[in-house]
Amino acid sequence: MGTYIEAACAQAGNRGRKATARGLANDAARTCFSRAGCKPSDVDMLINVGIYREDSMGEPALAALIQEDIGANLGHPPTGGSGSFSFDLLNGTCGVITALQIESGLLQSGVIRLGAVVSSDVQPELENPGAHFLQPAGGAMLLRWDDRLAGFTDFCTQTFPEYEDLFTSGLVWQERRGIRAPRQGNGHHRMAVSVKPGYQARLVDCADEATRRFLRRAGLGVEDIDLLVPAPSRAGFIDPLQARLGIPGDRVAYTPEDLEGSYTTGPIAALQAAIKSGRLDEAQNVLLLAAGAGITVALALYRQTPPAG
Amino acid sequence: MNEPNGKQPSHWLTLQSAGSGASWGCRIESVGVQVPARRLSTRELMSRTNHHTKIQLERLTGIHERHVVGPGENSFTLAAGAARDCLSHSQHQASDIDMLISTSITRSKGRSSQSFEPPLSLYIKQAIGATQAVNFDISNACAGMLTGVFILQDLISRGEISRGMAVSGEYISHLSWNAAQQIRSLYSKQLASLTLGDAGAAVMVERAPQGSGMDVIGFTTLAEHSRLCLAFPSSVGPGAQMYTKSRTLHKVAIEDMVPLIAEAIREAGIDVADIDYMIPHQTSARAIQAGTKEFVRRLGARPKHVVVNLEEYGNTSSTTLFVALHKYLEEQRIRKGDRVMLVALASGIEIGVAIFTIDNLVDGYGHVH
Repeated sequence: MGTYIEAACAQAGNRGRKATARGLANDAARTCFSRAGCKPSDVDMLINVGIYREDSMGEPALAALIQEDIGANLGHPPTGGSGSFSFDLLNGTCGVITALQIESGLLQSGVIRLGAVVSSDVQPELENPGAHFLQPAGGAMLLRWDDRLAGFTDFCTQTFPEYEDLFTSGLVWQERRGIRAPRQGNGHHRMAVSVKPGYQARLVDCADEATRRFLRRAGLGVEDIDLLVPAPSRAGFIDPLQARLGIPGDRVAYTPEDLEGSYTTGPIAALQAAIKSGRLDEAQNVLLLAAGAGITVALALYRQTPPAG
Repeated sequence: MNEPNGKQPSHWLTLQSAGSGASWGCRIESVGVQVPARRLSTRELMSRTNHHTKIQLERLTGIHERHVVGPGENSFTLAAGAARDCLSHSQHQASDIDMLISTSITRSKGRSSQSFEPPLSLYIKQAIGATQAVNFDISNACAGMLTGVFILQDLISRGEISRGMAVSGEYISHLSWNAAQQIRSLYSKQLASLTLGDAGAAVMVERAPQGSGMDVIGFTTLAEHSRLCLAFPSSVGPGAQMYTKSRTLHKVAIEDMVPLIAEAIREAGIDVADIDYMIPHQTSARAIQAGTKEFVRRLGARPKHVVVNLEEYGNTSSTTLFVALHKYLEEQRIRKGDRVMLVALASGIEIGVAIFTIDNLVDGYGHVH
């Protein structure tokens, strides 16, 4: 008995028009519901894990706006049905896996029947305009419980705070200079992103260490993993990591070019590639891996085998 | 009771209860608070508006003063201070914490008015020495802390973790200063920004014997009303600005909250009169009075006490419920055996209800049984 992936969808932002984080998440969620053959009103919990938005809105949670946009249980309580509960979760590139862990637990407890995880990021207005670091994209996953599958059996998140300053981001205030036009603001907030030398290499080190520890705890070896679903998708991360772990390329789900650089959507983009190629169906033991700022490494073992015992 | 792996269709709330057959109970073990030393009276705040507003804010809201940060204080320092205070009332060490969730809307730290990565929870766990804790942030407007408790409850009741902390540091007084520059009348959508105060709060949640601890905790998002309160980075000054359709928000909240609270009370298997203390989200004294009146009218009974602490703190956003609970524990007003109901109300519209009976929680506050 376990949580299984009902559907997944990742979509790149249309380069021809300015994408919004909300729009990207909405589009991905709608496509995901369509692929799963279910209605938004079926969803009991919606967690948004996207981070970078065009407006950096503080409240409400973007998840609530997405819930409204896709039309998930908008009636007044009690109307005989059940409602949806939505909130945002922020854990960088690892957010999808953290949300999977939360929803998987609530599915096991019977608190929810259908869980959604959505993600989206767009390039924020940067303090240093040359520091573009992500590709606009949106993603969505739907999760259900299945008595016939082991599903998600193990989760792990490991942090390496000694590297916490290698990647940092945050909004900073910039006072407007010079003569101000009437009704013009006093300044604006811009996203300051700092990536220090060595970040990429340490990301690989930490992912390697965390993966080995995780597999040891699960009683598995690297050779038992049929498919690695990694994020971020950059070759500078995946190539050295798979070489270090000793996982051959035919057991790695590579993200297609148009979704390369997608940020919090990264794990969903890689997963979608595996679904489309049929490799997810063929794999028994699937390892989802995400690594990002912190340095944080999140891992999830997804087993398409009958439940243990 | 929850059906195994299938949600009960009669519930609008996404709901966890002690009667669901979970392996473990889950209880609030300690609560901590950090409020800045500096106080700002409503009179002083209103004297610093750019325009002569004629708004009698204290009479309207019941807020006499609020605490506001001084130099060097921000969301991070308030959260870390609250987490330390929580540990000082706890039987556990920081290294015992399995999960730490930062739940504030604001995440100011250093030069950032809003930190994005790494998550603020990483810095907080490092500051308090919770080296073993898995950490992440959530954002759910003023319902953030109770949402954190909701998440911890499931992980604890399934035995996945033994204890966790939800922590929040809300440095939100910059919204008041930014609003003060623009607000002109009572009908301004920034009026609610003048009610805000800064505070940090933390709550430790731990494993309890099966069937004990939290009676029920449930949440829902009434997303049809998601745009009634919006906050963005400001162009007036550092920090944010918030625009609220207060009258509509309170009308919807009062209308829709009562059946949801009734649902939670029914699930807990108790009557309204069994609730000793109801702690609602602290927005304005008038709104709480109106809400309570409607509550009594529709449910036919009232809790023994309705907690209002606005006079001293104002609306401290995601921390209000736990600042109030902490105050009543410190003042030894809430006692062992009392049944408490926390009611979260937030932009979204998020509504959350938690009902629990006080047990060992009072031990950390010098109560003599």
